[in-house]
Amino acid sequence: MASTKPPAGQFNMLYFAAASTYAKKQSEHLKAPLPVSELFDTLEQLYPGIKEKVLSSCMLTVNLGYVDLDDAAGIKIKEGDEVAIIPPVSSG
Amino acid sequence: MDGGFPSDWRNDVLAALSQPVEEAPNTWPLTQQEYKRYGRQLIMPEIGLQGQLKLKNAKVLVIGVGGLGCPAIAYLAGAGVGTLGLVDGDVVEESNLHRQILHTVGGIGEAKVDSARRFVKELNPLVKIEEYKVRISGDNALQMIAPYDVVLDCTDTPASRYLISDSCVLLGKPLVSASALRTEGQLTIFNYPPRPAGDPAGGPCYRCIFPSPPPPEAVTSCGDGGILGPVVGVMGLLQALETIKAITAAGSADATAFSSFAEPAVNPPTMLTFSAYSSPQFRSIRLRPRKKGCASCSAEATVTAEALTSGSMDYIQFCGLTHPVNILTPKERVSALQYAEARKNISLSGKSHQVVDVREKVQFDLCHLYGSINVPFSIVSSLRNATTEVVQTPVLQQLKTSIGKGGGEPVFVVCRLGNDSQVAVRKFKELGFDGGGKIWIGDVRGGLKAWREDVDPSFPEY
Repeated sequence: MASTKPPAGQFNMLYFAAASTYAKKQSEHLKAPLPVSELFDTLEQLYPGIKEKVLSSCMLTVNLGYVDLDDAAGIKIKEGDEVAIIPPVSSG
Repeated sequence: MDGGFPSDWRNDVLAALSQPVEEAPNTWPLTQQEYKRYGRQLIMPEIGLQGQLKLKNAKVLVIGVGGLGCPAIAYLAGAGVGTLGLVDGDVVEESNLHRQILHTVGGIGEAKVDSARRFVKELNPLVKIEEYKVRISGDNALQMIAPYDVVLDCTDTPASRYLISDSCVLLGKPLVSASALRTEGQLTIFNYPPRPAGDPAGGPCYRCIFPSPPPPEAVTSCGDGGILGPVVGVMGLLQALETIKAITAAGSADATAFSSFAEPAVNPPTMLTFSAYSSPQFRSIRLRPRKKGCASCSAEATVTAEALTSGSMDYIQFCGLTHPVNILTPKERVSALQYAEARKNISLSGKSHQVVDVREKVQFDLCHLYGSINVPFSIVSSLRNATTEVVQTPVLQQLKTSIGKGGGEPVFVVCRLGNDSQVAVRKFKELGFDGGGKIWIGDVRGGLKAWREDVDPSFPEY
């Protein structure tokens, strides 16, 4: 995973497990700032279908902290942040 | 002074000489054998005598004796956990052996629980084993979990993960949960500290973090997605470690003291993610506290023991079932035997045909039918605006050209099991590869699995 430091005006978006399979990549840089509430729609535009098939059951983190989407009003993703989509892995 | 010896010395010497020949009964807290066996961890302040006694009195339930359960069991048995309950309804298969380290060639076909018991008895006969040769379900979960102090979720389906989490909340047990797929793993201790539902000081449960299950078609098993042995091994070992930490941190050495799990300073809840090919490989994510309104652990919890046991909580239904794909008409499908016949006749008549294998390239490279061309399903399924993208996707452009050159020869699509091939046939027709119905495009029912079973037993099974 090329989790390199994002350039100015961007944040680092990480995809794990089923999310990386769907996006066909493990990370990328996206434009900041971005309200957390708009993240899923942004990703849906990039990867049509990802919302229903992956994101609906995922955990979202910003800078290694859990973000509750029901309670995310007003939270903005800032330049340089590390955002991750962590789907549940159930096999073992 | 008497005879040149200090009187203290003389008393010691006389006492030593008067020792009975037989050894006095062991009055130490552990047996001689235990001191020796556990010596290397006993001398660590994190364990010490009290920690070892807690391990000895602890009862740990390991649900799933596979890729996670095997390494966890080995280390828990090694550390001297007094009682290990082992739950698994499966038997050992050859494809388990690359990662399920308790099982051996001699155990193929045997119950995993029996195979694991044999390993533990060889490693540490002091450990007591309880066997449960069943798959965990709503009607047996609570009964099975109740006698134990800590539970390890080493299972492999979303349904079992919700069921085990709900059961642990209802019974007040800490749940050491891990999972792994391909090159990634996750580890969390749920419900730790294990407070009753509605107590915000308790640790979050599985439902707090993942309130809704993934759609069933998006769930990948190790059999379909693959798993690297050391990846799942690392996660199982971490489960053993966190279990040892939780047991030795608990209130006092007697078994009844696990209710005081909350007493020692428990770290805030985290999820450790492992990604073998990333840098950094490990990330520790700060989790939320218990979720307000959580169906399992909040004051408004709707998951009750009665609902769980009676079956009115249907975990399989909650997580959804995948149905085998069935989107083609019978005329668009042939059996493996029919295809073998067609293959022979076509070649005898000097004609040719197209075989399109839609498995991913890595699988195609393992083995494929002679003459087949590879168009990976990930490419087919991700096409959005079909027509323009064919031009931009070399492998599809080649396929189109190749079908065109064939002058109306049939196109057979195969995959591993006969699901993806149907979706691919639909897609190829949407793209107009069938020349508006002039060219027959269909799939081989049951895929290469059926080919091996019905036509060519030498075709590799993987």
